[in-house]
Amino acid sequence: MIKRLRDIIKRVSQHLRLNTRLINYYWQRTRRNKLAVSGLAFIIFLVALAIIGPFFTLDPTEANFEEKNIPPIGFVTEQSIYSIETDEFTTKEVPGTWKHPLGTDSKGRDMMAMIVSGARVSLQVGLIATGIAIILGTIIGVLSAYLGGWVDNALMRFTDIMMTFPFFLLLVLIIFIFGPSLAFIVLAIGLTGWTGTARLIRSESLSLRTREFVVAAKALGASDNRVIFRHLIPNVISLIIVIATLSIPGVILAEAALSFIGLGDPTVSSWGIILEAGQHSLNTAWWVAVEPGIMLFLTVLAFNFLGDGLRDAFDPKSNI
Amino acid sequence: MGKSWLRNYTIKRLIYAVIIAWGILTITFVLVRVGPSSPADKYLANLAARGQDVAQVRAAIEARYGLDKPIYEQYIDYMGNLFQGNWGWSFSTSMPVIKLIKTHWIYSFQLILLSSLFAALLGILIGIYSAVKQYTKTDYAFTFFSFVGISIPNFWLGVMLILIFSVKLGLFKTYYDTTLPLFSLDNLKALVLPVITLGTGMLAGYVRYTRSAMLDNLRKAFVTTARAKGLPERTVIGKHVFRNALLPLITIIMFDLGSIVFGGAYLTEIIFGIPGLGQISFNAIFANDYPVVVAVTIIGTFMVLLVNLLTDITYTYLDPRIRYD
Amino acid sequence: MDNEILKVKNLKTYFFTRHGIVKAVDGVDFDLRHGECLCLVGESGCGKTVTALSILRLFDSPPGKIVDGQISYDGLNLTTCSSEQLRQIRGKDIAIVFQEAQSALNPVLTIGDQIIEQIKLHLPVDYARARDRAKTLLGEMGIPSAESVMSYYPHQLSGGMKQRVLIAMGLSCDPQILIADEPTTAVDVTIKAQILDIFLELKTSRQMSIIFITHDLAVVAEIGDRAVVMYGGKDVETAPVSEIIGNPKHPYTSGLIECLPDISKSTGKLASIPGTTPNPIKIPPGCAFHPRCPKAMEICSQQEPPETTISKEHKVNCHLYT
Repeated sequence: MIKRLRDIIKRVSQHLRLNTRLINYYWQRTRRNKLAVSGLAFIIFLVALAIIGPFFTLDPTEANFEEKNIPPIGFVTEQSIYSIETDEFTTKEVPGTWKHPLGTDSKGRDMMAMIVSGARVSLQVGLIATGIAIILGTIIGVLSAYLGGWVDNALMRFTDIMMTFPFFLLLVLIIFIFGPSLAFIVLAIGLTGWTGTARLIRSESLSLRTREFVVAAKALGASDNRVIFRHLIPNVISLIIVIATLSIPGVILAEAALSFIGLGDPTVSSWGIILEAGQHSLNTAWWVAVEPGIMLFLTVLAFNFLGDGLRDAFDPKSNI
Repeated sequence: MGKSWLRNYTIKRLIYAVIIAWGILTITFVLVRVGPSSPADKYLANLAARGQDVAQVRAAIEARYGLDKPIYEQYIDYMGNLFQGNWGWSFSTSMPVIKLIKTHWIYSFQLILLSSLFAALLGILIGIYSAVKQYTKTDYAFTFFSFVGISIPNFWLGVMLILIFSVKLGLFKTYYDTTLPLFSLDNLKALVLPVITLGTGMLAGYVRYTRSAMLDNLRKAFVTTARAKGLPERTVIGKHVFRNALLPLITIIMFDLGSIVFGGAYLTEIIFGIPGLGQISFNAIFANDYPVVVAVTIIGTFMVLLVNLLTDITYTYLDPRIRYD
Repeated sequence: MDNEILKVKNLKTYFFTRHGIVKAVDGVDFDLRHGECLCLVGESGCGKTVTALSILRLFDSPPGKIVDGQISYDGLNLTTCSSEQLRQIRGKDIAIVFQEAQSALNPVLTIGDQIIEQIKLHLPVDYARARDRAKTLLGEMGIPSAESVMSYYPHQLSGGMKQRVLIAMGLSCDPQILIADEPTTAVDVTIKAQILDIFLELKTSRQMSIIFITHDLAVVAEIGDRAVVMYGGKDVETAPVSEIIGNPKHPYTSGLIECLPDISKSTGKLASIPGTTPNPIKIPPGCAFHPRCPKAMEICSQQEPPETTISKEHKVNCHLYT
């Protein structure tokens, strides 16, 4: 059974012209980095959570004022309840329950459901926005390096200008002007976050063209096509993978920050929005601020660990 | 030979900076005009909701801002106005935008300055120590913590600090008071948590970059030469290795300023209620007060431009390899 | 003999790496006499540089460690003395000059700075005198316009100039011993001749004791008094240079001599020693040279050859002579 799976993988990678030996080599090098592996494990867990989680959790939008401000399981808080009949405050002990393992917010919505739903949002934004930024950056970088001349000049000046804008301020301005819908947010992040990639890809492409192994390949009679596909592209792909992995956390944080200041999509429960609400109820329901933050933190940490590990694995000079 | 070349280089960079500045203003203009609604629409919608006479106000705004003129005329007006210091009027506070900026920028500056000092001093020291003690437990610990520092969302850190220190422990409860002098004790106390919030991410970055720059140089041959001369180890590290590490370090740190610091400062001001430019931009967003938002964006960008320019020139001046070529 | 100023006995410097233990120096004996130029000869990887570094304990210490042996100098054992004592000897009594002058000089400090720093560290002179001394040294090394060179940065100088600066730095505190690690390897032929002239001059006019590391037997012939041939981390033959060249006993030594291209021979292939130098993690058992030796016997793969005295000044480690 496993053998059949391996056969299938082999045939698919052959069709895609993937260099399995090389991929395996890099994977072995990455595996030795424990932090990178734990990062990858967390990411896989998060993806699974985002995809199948919503089927198992309660409805995150269902507000239930009877059950507001319940702490997570294992904690007990005191709430003052005002009773109209008796005209006094009684303090009641409210323990966490398994029905709401992560507690509820001030409107009685289940935290677990909101967190899971937020995972979906963050991952979607992370992947799509990063995808846009990387593709845009790669195209510009490669064009610039390949065409050279005034095209290179113009593109690089433009990149310089865009790079000078502080990323977050520009994002705020764009969303302020165009409106806070998730689609716009993804688009805006993608259209503003490509500058670093463009620079890196361009400089790598330029240096690759003059590297000795390319010159050697040409001296041995390799055609331009062959040089591009068998020599240049594999070198750039590893760079792209590292850049992508290390860009995702920034993107996720950007979306969370936008939601935090109120420029997020209100129809969606992003971790940032939850955190913003939690900020105002630190006295009564501190978990509403803590939980989404922990998720954000762990997610960013995981991608950083993985990206760093990948970067070391791909770098022939690092001693793994 | 060195001096005049440096002057020419500076002039070249200045001209280039002006071009970039032009590009920034143009792009901002394009963004604003390309938006789905006229810049005044949102504000007018607010007014309408409050029952005021929309048509009259709209006419007044359009006349004042020349929104009815063709686009290229608006552009020229825009540039002209900016240069004359006329940055428009804030819709919501009825103050000239430039006055708003003048009164509030100092608080942002103070926050960023203190955070940067905190991050730089601590970060560089830890980075050097970490590099020198590579492969020890201390190094691994510091490296791990720098990962953590980079990964913590800075707005969450701010909220957590408030939760732990202000709410649970009851410390640092003072709020920033603009009636007191900038560096009064109360204000400084109020700045402790914000500086830690903004500074932690920067600190982690400094540690990583310093460590990496030091490690790169620790392997080099001139270090063995320095030791062979009989120099004590602290001179070898502090004078020989560090000075080589310092150069690339300066550039990385300065260029990073734009992407990380200003966004972080924006959020930190909002969380802690510091009346800087981020705060007034935030308020402006909810009042649909577009001139303010645009102005803060432009100022922030120009600051980055300035810092980049200064760093570029400083680096060129400091690196003997570029100067004497 | 009481003419000896440095005595290395059974030196073993190992590097403990993740891939295994690298026995870079595995039992080396030699001594340096006053006023002589002793050459350490061998191919790259034989341990000669690490031997030189070991004298002043300059190798990277987490992986590297001196596991055995003594280095006697001036009543001290340099392998075990304190770092404080060692630092006082470095640059002052024993100085070392490295190859690859481009990377051996600090790129962000001026030449003057780097030399003066060393002088002020060891000698009780003020800045002005130190500066004068530095300038004089540069002049003695044949560097023109020494005054301007003092304020130059390393990248502004040519390769040959940088090497001379390094030598000047080495001499700045009048050391008793100068160790030169392949100073002529990374320069082209004309500069090489000039550098060698400098060393000859040092020998004759200053009676400096020199340890000269090289892989080039021609250089050894020109400048050396005695030579120690090294292979696989051990010394295999020690003799005066005339004996090494004229009467080599160890097959490796004779192999090296045969490899020297002879311009009088117009035809025939260039001679070479078959095989490659051993991987320092996996040194062959017995005599390290036996896989490549034309005269190898069975005992060579089993036992390390002991030291045999051929004559008062000539020692060799080879089973052919036991």
